[in-house]
Amino acid sequence: MTNGEGELLFVFIVLPLVVAGIMPLIGKLSKKVVPDILTNLTTFFLLAYSIIVGKQIIFSGIYTTKFSWFGEPMNISLTLDGFSLLMLVTISIVSFCVTLFSIDYMEHYGHKANYYSLLLIMIAGMNGLVLSTDLFSIYVFLEVAAIASYGLVAYGLGHNELEASFKYLMLSAVASGFIVLGISIIFACTGSLTFSEVAIGIHLVNAKYLVGFCAALFLMGFGLKAALVPFHAWLPDAHPSAPAPISAMLSGVLIKVSGAYAIIRIFLNVFGLTYALSTVLMYLGLISIFVGAIIAIGQNDMKRMLAYSSISQIGYIFIGIGTGSPLGILGGLFHILNHAVFKSLLFLNSGAIEQATGTRELDKMGGLAKQMPLTATTNAIGSLSVAGIPPFNGFWSKLLIIIALVQTQHYAFAVLAVLGSVITLWYYLIIQRNAFFGKPEEIWKNVKEAPFWMSCATVILALLCIVIGVTFPFVIKTFLVPATDILASGVSYLYNFLGY
Amino acid sequence: MSNHWLLNMGFAAALLFIGIFCLLTMKNLIKLLIGIEIMAKGITLALITSGVERHNVMVTQSLVITFIVIEVSLLATALALIINIYRHTKSLSISKLTNLKG
Amino acid sequence: MNIFLLCGLVCFSALAITMHNLLKSAICLGVASIFLAVLFFRMGAPYAGVFEVSIVAGLITVLFITTIVLTKREGGVKERKLTNIFFLLFFIIFIMIDFFVMKGFIGNLPNMPVGSPNLAENNNFSKVLWQYRTLDLVGQICAIFAGVFSVLALFRADKKENNNE
Repeated sequence: MTNGEGELLFVFIVLPLVVAGIMPLIGKLSKKVVPDILTNLTTFFLLAYSIIVGKQIIFSGIYTTKFSWFGEPMNISLTLDGFSLLMLVTISIVSFCVTLFSIDYMEHYGHKANYYSLLLIMIAGMNGLVLSTDLFSIYVFLEVAAIASYGLVAYGLGHNELEASFKYLMLSAVASGFIVLGISIIFACTGSLTFSEVAIGIHLVNAKYLVGFCAALFLMGFGLKAALVPFHAWLPDAHPSAPAPISAMLSGVLIKVSGAYAIIRIFLNVFGLTYALSTVLMYLGLISIFVGAIIAIGQNDMKRMLAYSSISQIGYIFIGIGTGSPLGILGGLFHILNHAVFKSLLFLNSGAIEQATGTRELDKMGGLAKQMPLTATTNAIGSLSVAGIPPFNGFWSKLLIIIALVQTQHYAFAVLAVLGSVITLWYYLIIQRNAFFGKPEEIWKNVKEAPFWMSCATVILALLCIVIGVTFPFVIKTFLVPATDILASGVSYLYNFLGY
Repeated sequence: MSNHWLLNMGFAAALLFIGIFCLLTMKNLIKLLIGIEIMAKGITLALITSGVERHNVMVTQSLVITFIVIEVSLLATALALIINIYRHTKSLSISKLTNLKG
Repeated sequence: MNIFLLCGLVCFSALAITMHNLLKSAICLGVASIFLAVLFFRMGAPYAGVFEVSIVAGLITVLFITTIVLTKREGGVKERKLTNIFFLLFFIIFIMIDFFVMKGFIGNLPNMPVGSPNLAENNNFSKVLWQYRTLDLVGQICAIFAGVFSVLALFRADKKENNNE
């Protein structure tokens, strides 16, 4: 464990916040170019910095930072361990590609500076959530990211956008309410909020029912944020209504950071994964896989289909984590990274198609492969990857999850997971066939390939799909094994943390 | 744990119930937000009473202040959304919001 | 004394959702906050009480009333007539369940060891907020920024129209 004096990790929260704060002033001076450059520099810096910091973590273990300001001791304690690092790198990759894509895509929405400010605050909120070490800070940063996302979902200001954003806000506010209620009961039981002290307090206190009740509240609250199936109603409205880069951000990282990360961190490290809890997570995951996949087949709107597919893929993450075996956790975490990469790629492609043709309806498209070869190729890579076809990254994470299911003797779950994957392949083939192949329609004769920066972002993500898929042993060894170690050691990880 | 905590938690649960009932049955968008505010009151009560229980009310006090600040920015966003919806539909009824089917 | 305050809080909250006039229900909500604030003072949380009065009872009520006036009172919404009756019915049932659950817990509550409280009671409030919960202050700044920029984003369209005119 390393203790830093400096503001090393604090940069991840403060830099996007400061840039977001000065963005409106810059927006007054220059409407487009300077906000574009500044935002992209910021996200690129965060990406580079997370990799530089990550290198230190991999060599020297967990990094915590506490610092003083002007001589006054201030208690800002942030911790970066393997799991947070994985999420941090995922957030940085997706946000960099999203800001790159926004340069061309957000032209017609206007007021780019305002858009970038909201996006950067969302990134700051997610970074804070991943780095924070106590329950209430998780809630605070979760809500910061959520408030920014309400504004972003409604950014188009059309009827559908407003409706989706309002529904999202209502359900999300109830979820946050449950989370804070759970936090207050935990505080009454243990008298503390930091992960390590709560973990010890829960095991000292003989209050099984109260703790179980808290677990149920957290599962409802964070499950709603992660769009697990009984609580998924907001996602298929909110994600398609947002502008495409924001859909990529929401589907790619926000549901995983504010839902999956929080659930995994709290249940595995703080509460400890009991048999009942792991069964609940696995069943919720299985139901999510099938409900998401089956509804997705019937959709005609491309972005709606992708949104339902997100629900289905979140199910894979939870089924992997729910097994509780190191291999299952590894698979689940690998799927978090992979899903972030290919789902944001697919959402960005849907944005490129929408901008070129003005429609999201699948049966109106057709034969776009000739006009938009680059988009067609990257979309094919993304689709094959999400369906789990061998050389691409999605295959390896699904394979790991299925092997883990077999190892822990959940044979039925393993068979159903494979079946879910086949359904996924089916509806992604529907997208490919309807949008890109088939006979070229007359009206799309003049459609042009997406502008340079948009293609640039999608190509980066598509290359990542292939690179992660080909070099998966390296990725697993450097990024995923440290994260898995922390989660698999369960509650004892936090005991060590305090020096017990 | 003392009975005071239990009593206050009981009342907090009643407030939460009122809020959730409001969310489930009411049709007016502003009424729904009032429901969320009532839930928030229940939660602040639960936080403070937990602090009293642990003889650590100063910490929960600061948590409540953070919670209230966040609640205000949430509410401002929600009210801005409502005004925008009113401009589109000329109504505050939730039955006008049925374009999308979750 | 506290029990009357709690009852007043719940009664005014219930009134807030049963009132048909939105303006009156917003004011009921404000009154309920004042009850809660007095309760906080009595429980030894004066700063939370001040925030509850000034922000929740003051600012939020003002925001609600502004919105209600901007949207012309009811906005033409008629609530279902049966809602209030249903509310009373379910509320009484819920209170009974609540009462019995809580009664069942009396005496069965676990005795909590007074673990390791980070800060004792005698520490003053500003120290707790500034030194123990500093990260929350950063979070508050983020939340305020998020709220401000969301509101700006939502009202940007009419700015453009005004400029065109």
